[in-house]
Amino acid sequence: MRRAKLGTLIWAAGLALPFALDSSWVSVAAFFAIYAITALSEDIILGRAGIFDMGHAVYFGIGAYVTAILNTTLNIPILLTIPVAMLVAAGVGALLSAPLIRLRGDYLLVATIGFNAIFVLAMQNNPGGITGGSDGITGIGVPTLFGLQLESQSSMFWLDWVALGAVLLLMHNLDGCEFGRALRYLKQDELAASTLGVDARKVKTLAFALGAGLAGLAGTLFAVQLSTVSPSSFLFTESVTLFAIVIVGGQGSIPGVLFGTALMFVVPQIFRGLAEYRYFVFGIAMIAVMVLRPQGLLPRKRIAT
Amino acid sequence: MKKHQECSKIVLAVCATLGMALAPSAYAASGPIKIGVQAPITGTYADEGQGIERAVKLLAAMQNAKGGLLGRKIEIKVCDDQGQAAQAAICARQLVNDHVVAVIGSYTSGAALAAEPIYARANVIQTSDGTSNELLKRGYKTWFGNAAPNSAEAKFTAHYLVDVRHFKKIAVLTDHSSFATGLAGAVVRDIKADHGNVVDKSFINAGSQNFSPVLTKLKSMHPDVLYFSGYYSDGGLIRAQMVQLGMKAAFVGGDANQNVAFAKIAGSAAAGSIIVNVPAPADLPYPVAKQFVATYKAKYGALPPSVFTLTNADGMRAVMQAIAATKSVKPAKLEAYLHSMKSFQGLTGTFAWSAKGERTGSPFVAFAVQKDGSYKIRYPAPKND
Amino acid sequence: MGTFIQQLINGLTVGGIFALIALGYTMVYGVMRLINFAHGDLCILGAFIGLTTLTSAAGGGHPGAGLLLLAFVVSVIVIAVAGVALERIAYRPLRKADRLAAVVSALGASMMIENGIMLVWGPQVHVFPSNLLPATTWHLAGATISFVQVMIILASLVLMIALYLFVNHTRFGTAIRAAAIDQDAARLMGINVNRVIASVFIIGPALGAIGGLFIGIYYREAYFTMGWTYGLYAFIAAILGGIGNIPGAMLGGVLLGLFNAFAAGYVSSSWQDAITFGLLIVILLVRPTGLLGERVAEKV
Repeated sequence: MRRAKLGTLIWAAGLALPFALDSSWVSVAAFFAIYAITALSEDIILGRAGIFDMGHAVYFGIGAYVTAILNTTLNIPILLTIPVAMLVAAGVGALLSAPLIRLRGDYLLVATIGFNAIFVLAMQNNPGGITGGSDGITGIGVPTLFGLQLESQSSMFWLDWVALGAVLLLMHNLDGCEFGRALRYLKQDELAASTLGVDARKVKTLAFALGAGLAGLAGTLFAVQLSTVSPSSFLFTESVTLFAIVIVGGQGSIPGVLFGTALMFVVPQIFRGLAEYRYFVFGIAMIAVMVLRPQGLLPRKRIAT
Repeated sequence: MKKHQECSKIVLAVCATLGMALAPSAYAASGPIKIGVQAPITGTYADEGQGIERAVKLLAAMQNAKGGLLGRKIEIKVCDDQGQAAQAAICARQLVNDHVVAVIGSYTSGAALAAEPIYARANVIQTSDGTSNELLKRGYKTWFGNAAPNSAEAKFTAHYLVDVRHFKKIAVLTDHSSFATGLAGAVVRDIKADHGNVVDKSFINAGSQNFSPVLTKLKSMHPDVLYFSGYYSDGGLIRAQMVQLGMKAAFVGGDANQNVAFAKIAGSAAAGSIIVNVPAPADLPYPVAKQFVATYKAKYGALPPSVFTLTNADGMRAVMQAIAATKSVKPAKLEAYLHSMKSFQGLTGTFAWSAKGERTGSPFVAFAVQKDGSYKIRYPAPKND
Repeated sequence: MGTFIQQLINGLTVGGIFALIALGYTMVYGVMRLINFAHGDLCILGAFIGLTTLTSAAGGGHPGAGLLLLAFVVSVIVIAVAGVALERIAYRPLRKADRLAAVVSALGASMMIENGIMLVWGPQVHVFPSNLLPATTWHLAGATISFVQVMIILASLVLMIALYLFVNHTRFGTAIRAAAIDQDAARLMGINVNRVIASVFIIGPALGAIGGLFIGIYYREAYFTMGWTYGLYAFIAAILGGIGNIPGAMLGGVLLGLFNAFAAGYVSSSWQDAITFGLLIVILLVRPTGLLGERVAEKV
């Protein structure tokens, strides 16, 4: 419980970031919150359910596109698009997972890579003229809350930070509830879990839907933050980064995934001075982290089951 | 702040130190004039991005050697956007906080688009080679496209294919990039408007190198010309694979094919290929263009990676000219100057900017690639030869 | 008919290259259950090493066929050494860890090699000398095939058969297969598993280097981000055939090349990759462990 209290404190302190940082770092913090939500949602699928999902950018992208399309063509207020974005992403996740779950490990991983490639190509080919092709969609509006325009970088940051807080709360409660326990049993020993009456198929599909839905929420926030979406933001390489965040941080560990996001996303921002050496050094750092801490930087504490 | 008294002292201390370390140095009217470069320094487009960085830094160094501008040195701030939208948005805020007067870049339309509203809100001039129509939609007065818009190039290309060369069966090939699909779409539209016949429009996967399958399909349609709107690294290979497959069709490429590597990659197949573009520095009647390319080569040991290095250099030169002419670094004055310029002598031809910030008045030419890999203007016919 | 044969040739050429690279993936996977995401980058590093050997040995003159052979030898040796070093540094410490840790380590290695190439050779497109090999082309039934294509198809075939014979009909090959089935049991049988793993990291990258150099000679260009694209295709080929299975990688590579050719040629060039991936997913649904993969429970 001490951990949870400390976490709440740090989250609350985070609300003050716009007063302490200049606006470029506030936007880094906002993107951190968005990527953290996406990484946490990937963790549900990869870290908790043990499904090797290397196409998570699809659900992130679906959320972003749903918001962009609804807002620019039907003028639906941004915040109202959130439930739609989450539902569509979750629905697609559940739909795709049905055949996927039959596959094992690396075969599943390749299938998710395939879905990612198909998604990007579909957005580029502009089906029905609704995705804007390679240009994507621009001119996404500003969210309004109680008549207040959340236009400044700081107010957008607060929106993202509150969303992150909500997702963190959900993830925290996930550990305690029946669904979370079922996931844990499944990951440790699928055969034993099924003898305990865990319906593996159902639990995995649910995990996929939940992870995809939360990624959809992050997608909405991403579209708002940029006010534009285009296929190049949801490439397979983004999925790889999300995958790496979970493993680098520590599977199934909330502080681990947050720390992983910071390492994979914020640290490269700090080392911009390295210019073209940046990702060479970063690659070496990734190897070093894994070799020195194979369980991830902040691995999940063993919970007695 | 009162609300957050509960946060522990440690966190506050960390925030404070971070804040102090990151707070921008105070803006001084007498310090150097800061100009930003937002470009992909790493990632897929690193070649182009590093070219833009080099060209802008070279121009700044040349100006500083002459005493700078308004008696102040020019300082270049570079931000690597990797060609990605999210990174571009962060870069834009970072450069705005660095108090730059203008930003050169980015290279990709996507990265330019994500940064555009941020520069516009902060009233920072942005000059980029991005040609997506989306960039013009909001009518930001801070936007100055330094590459000729797709529409002008498409019009010239269609006229050249249909009315000048009288091709009867035109095949169009593009990649999935925003730039190339936009250009290909406009070319197809204009060919049809000129009553030309487009037999097929196909796609390649940029960088996949294996273009023979789609070319084999096109070959069976017997086009007399293949128009490719994508980039040189693919264009050179397409030309080589056309010849290898025994395709008789002529090759006409869009402006992104103009690069020394095109002829090298295409090898013996390169000769006779046509590339549509703004005039090369060597073909311009004023020496500054030739000089710049020579200085660039002397300094970096290689030619600029592409024409977009030069168009971005033109953006930088126009901004410097505006500062010198208005004796000011006030955005409103500079923007007014740039919009009202009648004709700017660029490294890539003479041009001006429309009220929307679209580059206008760029004449296009069709180059023929020679046996030795050099380029020669084929249309409009050179006057004095 | 000519068009069909031509697409067949197109598919086989690029399929041969995919297969050569896929072998490296599948061998490493077979023994270590590791997806070596750095493999594609090693292959392209091989192309760059070969190019530098060619141009520096030719000393400004035109490199001939003898130098080309030298380029292959140098590139194969350097990449094999790099492969072994990579295993020692990035993968060996993780042998007992969660296998995803090694996967992320491989992703880091990929990023390091890719950006390392950019730092050493620069970000621009590098062009291979022309006419390294005879420019002869043959025509058959309305299709054309070049000397280089014939060489790539034949050389890939010969290398793959040689590898197959080596793994299935030599003592050391038996050791590799034993280690692939059960490392601990193999160790108890007196097999030096470390040597087996080192050998896999010599053979795989060596074949990859040859594949990389083939790419350079055939397409005559190399740039630093190419490894990721080819690595991904080769990995998919390995999965398609059944990862860990050597004939499967060959079959997967060739099929992937053919899928690509026929998708672009006969269905839709704008949906080429979607068609290829769609086919892949359908095949996996029908055969969940790839075409030639064994139906065994996965080792975790």
